[in-house]
Amino acid sequence: MRKIVLSALAAMMVSAASAQEHRELHILSTNDMHAAIECMPRLGFVADSLRALYPDLLILSAGDNRSGEPINDMYEIAAYPMVALMNIIGFDATTLGNHEFDSGQEGLAKLIDMSAFPALCANVHPASKWNMHVKPYQIFDCGGLSVGVIGAVALGKLGIPESHPDKCVDIKFSEPLASIQELRWLREKCDVVVLLSHLGYSTDVEFSKELPWVDIIVGGHSHTQLKGGETHNGVFITQNTNRLKRATHSTLILEDGKVVKRMAENIEIRGQKNENKVVAALVQHFSDNPAFKRVLAQVDTPFENYEELGCMMCDAFVAEGKCDVSFQNAGGVRYETHDVGGFTVSDVLRLDPFQNEAVELLLTGKELADMLLKCYENDGHSFPYVGGMKAEFTVDPATKAIKKLELLDMNGKKLNQKKTYKVMTNSYSTAICPTNRKDAGRGIGRITAELVIDYLQHQGHVSYQGVKRLTQK
Amino acid sequence: MRLKINRVILDVFEGAEVQHALLMYLVRRRMSTKLLDQLAVYDVWGHEIDQQAPVSEHREIRIKFKDTK
Repeated sequence: MRKIVLSALAAMMVSAASAQEHRELHILSTNDMHAAIECMPRLGFVADSLRALYPDLLILSAGDNRSGEPINDMYEIAAYPMVALMNIIGFDATTLGNHEFDSGQEGLAKLIDMSAFPALCANVHPASKWNMHVKPYQIFDCGGLSVGVIGAVALGKLGIPESHPDKCVDIKFSEPLASIQELRWLREKCDVVVLLSHLGYSTDVEFSKELPWVDIIVGGHSHTQLKGGETHNGVFITQNTNRLKRATHSTLILEDGKVVKRMAENIEIRGQKNENKVVAALVQHFSDNPAFKRVLAQVDTPFENYEELGCMMCDAFVAEGKCDVSFQNAGGVRYETHDVGGFTVSDVLRLDPFQNEAVELLLTGKELADMLLKCYENDGHSFPYVGGMKAEFTVDPATKAIKKLELLDMNGKKLNQKKTYKVMTNSYSTAICPTNRKDAGRGIGRITAELVIDYLQHQGHVSYQGVKRLTQK
Repeated sequence: MRLKINRVILDVFEGAEVQHALLMYLVRRRMSTKLLDQLAVYDVWGHEIDQQAPVSEHREIRIKFKDTK
């Protein structure tokens, strides 16, 4: 009898062991959400549905959660709405994308503290004064599976992520690959190792050669749409395009404690039905934010035409961009008049709704004139509005081409054709003016609407009635 | 920053997105910038990428008109 009991116990133990041999890890991942808050209710629904099927679901973001939607980016605590929405959806971790640094050191530190999930980035080392709680990795217990998640962000030419350099001061950045390799010991400690990468697809593929010990790279940064996932050098890689068009559901199957199969499917998010109603209510709350009705400056005399508003925008570029002169394509000024009274954040976002980045260029007087002519030609034959200078031009009525252009400083003196000026404009104007110039320009990591908001706040009162800087002869 | 679109080499500003390179491309080819929305963009491996992707990640891209069927 005792023998029978022992045999039955042994059989039960073998059966339990074999049941433990087959395990699955499920990951729902996003990348480059860029504050697509309108898609978060759908993402919440997808997360809930998957979590109902797989209670140990791991939800990860490969960075660039912010920058792309004023409701998020211009909230009182910039980018807080996305953090709140990610908290409620139940994200387990994010890595830092280059745009996370758009919040500035103190802003990012605050956002990380407000997050119910860790910020993982092995190659970011903030100075202690910022009190920024970035971890290189974290080990998660997913239903008994030990999952090590490492984060990493791409560095640009300056050795910092592609954000405004001022926002990266006193943060050390180390080479991503070396920083990841230092965590190779996680392979021994964990059943699954995940690299949460904001490095870009081509770097993920390149690094896969050096990282055979990583099971899956959940990628971002290059906005590359993969069909589910791809295996390169034995490492599985996933990524989607931006703004939550899709998310990825990855499944890793483990036998005897080793990953033996990896697969992934894209889940459509943008424009799909079925939403988490709590998340939807929170999105609505953020969208109705009274902060957008906040008065930035008093308008003392009414703006009566596009040029007056264009001149105000250009003055904002000069003052806030700390440059000599500026220009703004005429088509980018979206309304014509503004009454006396308050100029609000929402007014600025209606005036300049395109999320264009401010671009700085070093141009000679001749190169500047060439760019303005090109802008006129490619922006519906409307001369761009200018700041820090005036323009006089003659138009051929038959061809609409500008026959003669003279640029003058604010005192009426001609700009020097050979002198180099620091010029500020927007990314759209820079793109439609492919002239033969030495400096292609560089984005300053801020959108032009932010410059206008700052300018109005700094001015307190504005009066542009009768301001005219363009003279067509 | 240098980028190749199909066979055209363009110098774009640092920090540009793919959409800015496409605008430059259209202007250079004397095509309407209104065509921007009709362009589908792919990386050298043939993956779809969106127009807000950072140029620094794509030294070479391919474009074609979207299938309107």
